[in-house]
Amino acid sequence: MNPSIKLLLLLLISLEISFTNRLFVNLILIICLFIVLIFNKLTWHQFCWLMLIPLIPGIAVLITIGGYGAGHDWLTGWSMVSRFYVYVFAGGVMTFTTSPLTLVRSLEQNCHLPSKFAYGTLAALNILPQIKRNVSTIKVAGKMRGLDLHWWSPTLYFKAILSAIRWSDQLAQAMETHGFREERPRTYATLIPLRWVDWAILIISMVVLQILLIALP
Amino acid sequence: MFRQFHLKDIILLAIIGIVFGVIYLATGLLYNGLTIILTPFGYGPMANDITLGIWCMAGPLAAFMLRLPGASFLGEFLSAIVEMLLGDQWGVTTLLSGLVQGIGTELGFTLTLYKMYNWITLLLSATTTTILTFSWDWFRNGYSHFPLSMLIVMLIVRWLSMFFFTGILVKLIINLLNRSHVLTR
Repeated sequence: MNPSIKLLLLLLISLEISFTNRLFVNLILIICLFIVLIFNKLTWHQFCWLMLIPLIPGIAVLITIGGYGAGHDWLTGWSMVSRFYVYVFAGGVMTFTTSPLTLVRSLEQNCHLPSKFAYGTLAALNILPQIKRNVSTIKVAGKMRGLDLHWWSPTLYFKAILSAIRWSDQLAQAMETHGFREERPRTYATLIPLRWVDWAILIISMVVLQILLIALP
Repeated sequence: MFRQFHLKDIILLAIIGIVFGVIYLATGLLYNGLTIILTPFGYGPMANDITLGIWCMAGPLAAFMLRLPGASFLGEFLSAIVEMLLGDQWGVTTLLSGLVQGIGTELGFTLTLYKMYNWITLLLSATTTTILTFSWDWFRNGYSHFPLSMLIVMLIVRWLSMFFFTGILVKLIINLLNRSHVLTR
């Protein structure tokens, strides 16, 4: 499926269930998203991760609404829990089945996102391992001088931002050296097709969701 | 009137988003720990209000660094995109939250017409972000089902969190950056 359309569909579903609160609709959505994930080779590790993430906030909301809220509305509590699972499963469908590169290519070609935003973000994302290493280097360097740099220390952010400024200069220079120009027409090495099937899936899914929201309690 | 965003600015905003994302990973533990501690008192969801300011720091910081309309919004929204791609708790809704937080932090700077960059701007930004994110949580996190007294406490706590992280902490970082003269790009 086209990555941009997939993202749009998942966003629309997430947005719509944020404003409606139907336990059964949420459960059906979770099952559908789960089936999609299974067809995309979901591993046990990923499955456990998806089940664990919403557990703590879910229980907190359940107890707050059911135990302390006006009317002790347990049904609303459970539908909130199921809503969190829909969010996380929708996120899983996006991140487990689409690589950032494909998504960015699709956003550039199909949604006409300016190439400087598409490739700028991608360039930054690609040096992620280096950024992680840099943050821990800053922490270790601080410890050597007897300084504990926690996540609330301005110095930690300051030093990380200094590196960020240097990297952004270097990456932009490197990209321009390789012929990247802002606002110039580009050709594409890999084409991301946008077929009528993608639109059909989007429209049919949304229509079915509306019917379910009206029909089910 | 204002210059445009260039490739360098966009990469910088995205890297700042990632840096904050990497440092935030440590606070995921804090969030879950606070939730567990607060749940028996019926205040479990308040962990969200206590920590929310941390997630909104990238926006005001970007605005102070680039001093461009849209910088705050882009800084916040790009960090949300990065967070989603790294596989964070909330999946696709991170984008929606990022959108709301981005508009919230941006509004504070819009209200001063992008001319003032001081404490007043930070206070305004913290306030607009509190109002917008609270309205979003009214729907998304089911705040409409909570008792009124609790909502008032949570609103105050959220503003304090915003003020501490997007106000005081951001200002301290900006002071360090100003003193080192790296912002005259």
